[in-house]
Parts: sequence; structure tokens; C-alpha cells
Amino acid sequence: MTPPLTLDFVAEKMNEFGTADLVRSNRIRIHTTPEKVSNAIKYALDTLGCDRLVTISTVDNGRTFELLYHLIGPHRTVISIAVEVPRETPDIISMSGILPPAGIYERQIHDLFGITFRGHPGLSKIILNEDWPPDEFPLRKDWKKNPDTYYGGIRKEGV
Amino acid sequence: MPEVTVPIGPHHPALKEPVNFKVIADGEKIVRLELDLSYSHRGIEKAAEQRDFIRVLPLLERVCGICSHSHSTVFVKGIEEIMQVEIPPRAQYIRTIIAELERMHSHLLWLGVAAHEIGFNTLFMWTWRDRELVQDTLEEMSGNRVHYGMNEVGGVRCDLAPHQVSAALERLPFLEERIHQYTDMVNDQQTMLLRFKGVGKLSREEVLNYGAVGPTARASGVDYDVRRDDPYLAYADVPWNVVTDTNGDVYGRTCVRIGELHESVNIVRYCLENIPEGPVRINAPKIAPDGEIMSRYEAPRGELVHFIRTNGTNKVERIDIRTPTLANWTSVAMCLVNKNLADIPVIVAAIDPCLSCTSRITLINTPGGKPGIITFDELRKRRQISDKGRGLP
Repeated sequence: MTPPLTLDFVAEKMNEFGTADLVRSNRIRIHTTPEKVSNAIKYALDTLGCDRLVTISTVDNGRTFELLYHLIGPHRTVISIAVEVPRETPDIISMSGILPPAGIYERQIHDLFGITFRGHPGLSKIILNEDWPPDEFPLRKDWKKNPDTYYGGIRKEGV
Repeated sequence: MPEVTVPIGPHHPALKEPVNFKVIADGEKIVRLELDLSYSHRGIEKAAEQRDFIRVLPLLERVCGICSHSHSTVFVKGIEEIMQVEIPPRAQYIRTIIAELERMHSHLLWLGVAAHEIGFNTLFMWTWRDRELVQDTLEEMSGNRVHYGMNEVGGVRCDLAPHQVSAALERLPFLEERIHQYTDMVNDQQTMLLRFKGVGKLSREEVLNYGAVGPTARASGVDYDVRRDDPYLAYADVPWNVVTDTNGDVYGRTCVRIGELHESVNIVRYCLENIPEGPVRINAPKIAPDGEIMSRYEAPRGELVHFIRTNGTNKVERIDIRTPTLANWTSVAMCLVNKNLADIPVIVAAIDPCLSCTSRITLINTPGGKPGIITFDELRKRRQISDKGRGLP
């Protein structure tokens, strides 16, 4: 283990990608834009000594979809790179080329939120069953179960 | 030879849980692996957004039938941090004891399943018998064998009576002796050495690149362990070591898990002997202020992450659960490439996959023996009788 990263150090290094803030004693969040996210992650891997993707968290805040890429390294400081994706055109570049574990998380997010990841090698269903309607994304805040839609499982009698 | 697609699962004798692999094979060699995990998706993240903090805990506990305490602890510890509530030290120790007992029962279960996958059923019977001792301890402490229901926001639900502490301490020497025996067996049983050594090898770089966690990562010399890196509960007070290995194969993963069994016995003993006096819970606020927390926890299978967003109400705005098994799939898919079809069960079992147990409806037996539903008042009455029986106020 190496000494933890400080906010000043990270803020200075990641200055070109956006602002940094200290969310917790061991977690620093950097707000960036969907265009810069790929470079920001590459830069964090090369310069901040991060070596592993912990997870990609997703939040639907009603206005946009927030994606947070949590990276960690020998310094044991979580670097969260946060981007907001517009609801109307939910698409962003896939990170699976640089970070292989992103592939499975992106497939999950694609199933549940309907965010498209450009350049993903196989963005097929993984979490939802094969009968789930392709245009419904259950973790979006405005999703409501439609009583007339078939979501899989046993069909109602007479249908 | 042309490539052939071999479907395995969701129901298959080699798999313990519903998952579907499409294995693309060239003769006996695996070329590629495709996964489908949809068979036990229950929409818990969505359901959790609709329940308050009291009612969401039983739901989150049921994310998994083996690491049930992990899911509730990682959630309450996150919510308590957002609320800025400090829970009493006795509650921290009780949570740690349950957490380590859970790790012991999970690792013993895994050892049995791994032995079963290679056809060594004697070891399977032995570990599962020894695991019963851990289960008995958990049942004595919490009243339940699987979903302990110990956590609540602000502390734990029930205290440990002195006779429970001594009963648990009495069981530890036997378990310790058995674990020593397993250490010897792993090192000199030909059956295990032949099937474990060199199988499913992952180098240190591959583990970091594919984002593997827990014993899978530690067996390749990657010393990530949240209990030490970001101490929670009572781990900062307890003397213990992170177990790592450099073999990187199924043998290494077995050694790490058995090493962790030793550590867990010592942690449980230390906590039981040094448990502080005092209350076990405080009155936590019913609502959480606006906030965001990424709560991490070292579950038996590896790092578990709950990303929680709160919005000033008594419900969460969003809870994003990343289970250790999801993080480990990438490494499995990668390390199976170019291996034999026959090694699939043991390599898959080596990450200890947990695809979450299927949801069930429980009917409670009334004293007359007929299935029915118990009233809240009666439940409370029974609880008071059971508390009295255990010497609790």
C-alpha cells in the first residue's frame, strides 16, 4: 500500500478534465463530460496509479443519467469519475477496450437504464430475461409496469 | 475442426445455481464463453427504492442466502455514515462476530462444493458437517440459520447473553483442529493436487486487468482486502492478517480460503473475549439527509459495493449493488479460454459464484401445525418469552 492521494494532488493532475471534490476521506470525485471521460479514465490509470475498476454506478436523477466510474489503486483512494448523460440521447463511449470488467457492467446498465455504449463488442441482454420488452428500462424513474405488457414468466390465462 | 457451441445450464448437474454458458469450443478446447445471468433477477434495486429504512433491510438481506449479513451490514453502515450516527462499540463487535462466522460458513461450504466438483465427496461431507457447528452458533446468537436479521440502522437487534458467548467459544477449538486438518489435506492429497494445481491460472496483471476481487484476487498476490484498506466495524481493533498466495490457480484460491478460515476463527475468538459492555443500539433518525455514499465491505466472496443516494426522506433515492460474483465473471470468462471443457466446473466453482437464491414465500406454522400467518402481537409475545429464556431483559 502507498500513501493515500490528496485532493490537491488529484485536482491539479485532473485539472483539464473537470473539477474535483472530496466526498469522503478516501474518495475523490471528478466531474467531467461524456466527451472527456475516456481520456480522463486513461489519464487516471496512467498518472494517478489506479489499477482496477471497482464498479460503474448509475443514478437516474430525473434530468440526466449519472454514471460514476470508480477506480482504485495501491493508494487505496477511490477515484470516482462522474459524467452526466442526457436522457434524450443516452449514449456514451464504451470503456470495455481499456478496462475489460467494464464490459459486463455496461451490459447490465444497458439492460436496466437503456444507455447505449458505443463500441461495445456485444451489448446483449444479461440481467433481464429474454422475454422482457426491448424498449422498457425498469430502473428509470419514470418506468411504470404496464398491465397489458408481457414481461416473461407464466402468461395470463386467455392471452 | 469447426467450432461447436455447447450450451451449459441453466439447469446442469455441474452447476449449483441457474446460469447459462454458451461455450464455443474447438474440439475439447474452449474458444470463447458467453454468459446469461438473467434466471434469478428479482428487481431488488427497484423494490428497495419503495421501502423505508426499516423495511428495506429484510429485503436487502435476501439478496443472497449465504452472505446475507454482508448485504445488510454494508447498507446500514452506509446509511449510518450519511446520518452521521456513531453506533455503540458492543454493536460493532457483535456485527463483526456475525460477519466472521458468516465468512467461516461460506468458506467451509465452498471447500465442500469444490471437493464435490472434483469427485472428492468425503471432504464434501466433512466440511459440511463442520459447517453445522458454525450454523448452530449463528442460530443460537440470532435465532436464524440463514437470514440472521441482526442489523438495524443504529445497532443490532439482539444482544449476546454470557452463556451464548461461552457456548460459541467452546466450539472454536474443534473447528480450529478441523481447519488444520484441511490445510494438511490440501497440501498432500493427490486427488486435490492433481485437479487444483495449475488449473484456472491467473497472473497478478490479469487479475488487476479483469477486476477480480476477494480470494480469487488474493490467490494471485493482489492484496486488496477492504477490511484492512478501509476499516469498518471492529476490524481496526482486532489483530489479524490479510491472507495472500502467489500460485494464482484453484490450488492458490483454496489455500487463501483455508488461511482465511484460520484468521476468522481468531477474529471471532478475540471479539468474543474482548467484547465491550454497553448498549447494542441507539435511536437513529428515521430519515437520512441528502447524500451519496459508496459503501464497501469484504464479503466472503470479495469486495461488495453498495452505492447509495439519499434524498432527505426515509427511503433511498437509488441503491446500486455490485456483488463480488459479477466482478469475478470477467476473469472466469478470460481464464477459461484455451482450457479443457472438463475444467469448467472446477474453474467456475473456484470463484465461489453466487447467483442469488431464488425468492420464496414462507408460510409460518402455527402451534396447531397448520400453515397460516402469525399476528404481530403473537410474534411479539413469542419474542418476549424467548428473550426471557435467554436471560435477556
